[in-house]
Amino acid sequence: MIGLWKRWKDLNAKGIMGINRRNADFVLKYNKRHLYPIVDDKIITKQRAIEAGIHVPEMYGVISTEKEIEKLDSIIGEHNDFVIKPAQGAGGDGILVIADRFEGRYKTVSGKIVSHDEIEYQLSSILTGLYSLGGHRDRALIEYRVKPDPIFKSISYEGVPDIRIIVLMGYPVMAMLRLPTRQSNGKANLHQGAIGVGVDLATGITLKGTWLNNKISKHPDTANAVDGVQLPNWDGFMKLAAGCYELCGLGYIGVDMVLDQDKGPLILELNARPGLNIQIANDCGLALRTNAIEAHIAEMQKKGIQETPEERVRFSQQAFGHVVTSEV
Amino acid sequence: MRSLNLHLKVLITLLVSLGVLITAYQIFILGIPVTEDETDDLWNIDAKVEFQASPSVPVKMQMFVPPLNQDYVSLNESFISNNYGVSVNRAEGNRKVTWSARRASGKQTLYYRLVLTKRYSGEKPKEKGPIFRDSLPVEGAEKIAAEALLAPIRQHSADVETFVSETIKRVNNEKDDNVKLLLGGDSSVGNKAKIADLLLSIAHVPLQRVHTVRLASEQQTPELWLRTFNGENWLYFNPETGEQGLPNDRVIWWTGDEPLVNLDGGKKAQVTFSLNNSEMNAIHLAKLSDANTSAGFLEYSLYGLPLQTQQTYQIMIMIPIGVLVILILRNLGGLQTLGTFTPVLIALAFRETQLGFGIALFTLITALGLSLRSYLEHLKLQMLPRLSVVLTFVVVLIAVISLFSHKLGLERGLSVALFPMVILTMTIERLSITWEERGGNHAFKVAVGTIIAASLAHALMSIPELTYFVFTFPAVLLILVGFMLAMGRYRGYRLTELFRFKAFLKD
Repeated sequence: MIGLWKRWKDLNAKGIMGINRRNADFVLKYNKRHLYPIVDDKIITKQRAIEAGIHVPEMYGVISTEKEIEKLDSIIGEHNDFVIKPAQGAGGDGILVIADRFEGRYKTVSGKIVSHDEIEYQLSSILTGLYSLGGHRDRALIEYRVKPDPIFKSISYEGVPDIRIIVLMGYPVMAMLRLPTRQSNGKANLHQGAIGVGVDLATGITLKGTWLNNKISKHPDTANAVDGVQLPNWDGFMKLAAGCYELCGLGYIGVDMVLDQDKGPLILELNARPGLNIQIANDCGLALRTNAIEAHIAEMQKKGIQETPEERVRFSQQAFGHVVTSEV
Repeated sequence: MRSLNLHLKVLITLLVSLGVLITAYQIFILGIPVTEDETDDLWNIDAKVEFQASPSVPVKMQMFVPPLNQDYVSLNESFISNNYGVSVNRAEGNRKVTWSARRASGKQTLYYRLVLTKRYSGEKPKEKGPIFRDSLPVEGAEKIAAEALLAPIRQHSADVETFVSETIKRVNNEKDDNVKLLLGGDSSVGNKAKIADLLLSIAHVPLQRVHTVRLASEQQTPELWLRTFNGENWLYFNPETGEQGLPNDRVIWWTGDEPLVNLDGGKKAQVTFSLNNSEMNAIHLAKLSDANTSAGFLEYSLYGLPLQTQQTYQIMIMIPIGVLVILILRNLGGLQTLGTFTPVLIALAFRETQLGFGIALFTLITALGLSLRSYLEHLKLQMLPRLSVVLTFVVVLIAVISLFSHKLGLERGLSVALFPMVILTMTIERLSITWEERGGNHAFKVAVGTIIAASLAHALMSIPELTYFVFTFPAVLLILVGFMLAMGRYRGYRLTELFRFKAFLKD
């Protein structure tokens, strides 16, 4: 009991944010309920992003009724690879990634062959709301399959690694590179077994990682060190993330981005309740940084200054960048 | 944010204090028992009236009965007689029953029965009484003796109370010549009371005879007490010792000089009192006495509902307790459960199956249902038809289990009612989705978490004392809401997070 209390105080001293605190102080405080559909529905997010000129994977089409499933062929057209997503799916559930065609059938990224019927069943499941947050009827989104930049080849197993940046009122707070593993079935979600690797906000160089709540420094599948990798076009990611505040109006979001080998940084989706494991990946508590940002915002407000995304990125990089890495 | 916090604090304080106040009012002012086991004494007083009726003369039997404006509440009162007309009337603070018959002969027996209890009387009425009276006529030697007695009494007393007490003591001192003279050889309690009355009347102090019955399981005759009014309260005195204060176990039967019974058309009237007491469940007693008093405090409580509805509410009112358990386990403990309130529903289902058997049954049916569900997965069915198949399967499964256990002589197996069926189906569906999406490990964790939460909620929801308490004092729910509101702003770690973030503290 005393041990737990001590642990509690130690965690608090390190500024580690718990779920209750995240919900009470950030999600409920900064995220207006009526804005949730913008991030919860990937189709709306995409439309907003396109309007704002923010790069997103190209949308091939939307299926919103059972009848429209017939249109699947015409939507796919000549594309050999594509992604089917539930518009309101959570945690990467219900996503089907087709990498290639194979003798009238399709091949997923993991090499599994699926028939056209199975894809239609998947679409039907999506429409009935199997994967949506509240079990409501949903829409299916068919879009461009991101081709990950080869930079990640050595530290990634299948799937598409993505970059998550937590953004508070437009200020990047913390960043993490998410690497799929064999266990996560090529998905980049930490709770499914993907690796999270902290990223230095200023330089874009990776730090140590987290896997299933533990600290790690090597990818479990490839055994390559995950730290010390320079992510290309890092400032581009940071600006993209910072600009998402204007895009959706939500004050506390996780921005998920990918680096496409042809199209550069693209926004995949926004998350109104970003997870907390990013703290383990960065070996740093969120609360310390959010406190600094809230203080900065209050100061700016007093001066009546409205900072641009570039200025906000600069503040975050100066305040939280250049982390001194310690050996694990 | 700060203003919201203040708002919340005020709201919580308001709700909690309201809850505490209402509950305290119910417990301390209305005197509603805190536990169901609390019992109260119930007194059964039988007055048996016997007399010889004179032939061919109308019979009229009058007897005093308790006025019932005291600390006691009558629960039931009955006048038992054959062929007699009964009427009850009030006069001068007394109540009198009159039995009458045109014709009666031989030995007559009438009964008066009163069931009373000490509790749950309403507000006491303000007491009234005389504070002055004229002297009784007294002449000659008696007058001199009385005045001789009064002189030292006046000296030794300070107020009405001590004056009366001193008088009674003097009258009981039979060695005193003056007392001897006044008693005239009759040293019965009645005569002593009469002399005390005479002495006090000379001093213009009013005195009343009070006839009481003692609440004790024995045969008895009414006991005489004296009382005087000091302007605010009646003061009671023992006519033999002069001690002041009526013991708690005395019920005033009637006041005044008249005898207990008054018989016309008969002779040898005799009244015997027999008392016995029984214990009664306090809340039932409260309900009974409620009907006989004007307080009506239970009328607007849940006890005012029809019995059938009451039983439903006894279950329903415990749901917030179950929800509270889930809230604490999830937000404070960090336990993962299937859905938010599914555990509460399962806990409710456990009511019908009992805990141990319920867990076994749920595990069995869920396991079988899950295997069916995974088989259906291959058929690529849409959600609604698939759910329907699973539900039908669950129904069949439960029927089979009931049949088998019945054949094996296990009546437990029959306890599955309609309600758990749907819960089971939903559980299977959600669990299988969790299984598919998060893997078997996670699904198992969630299932165990759900069972733990449901068992705990069930254990708490089925404590009879707690059920009684919440049902009787529903304001407790306000306190719960206050706590839930406070939990809504709880920002600390969950218990599991202390382990989840353990990695931070390793270096």
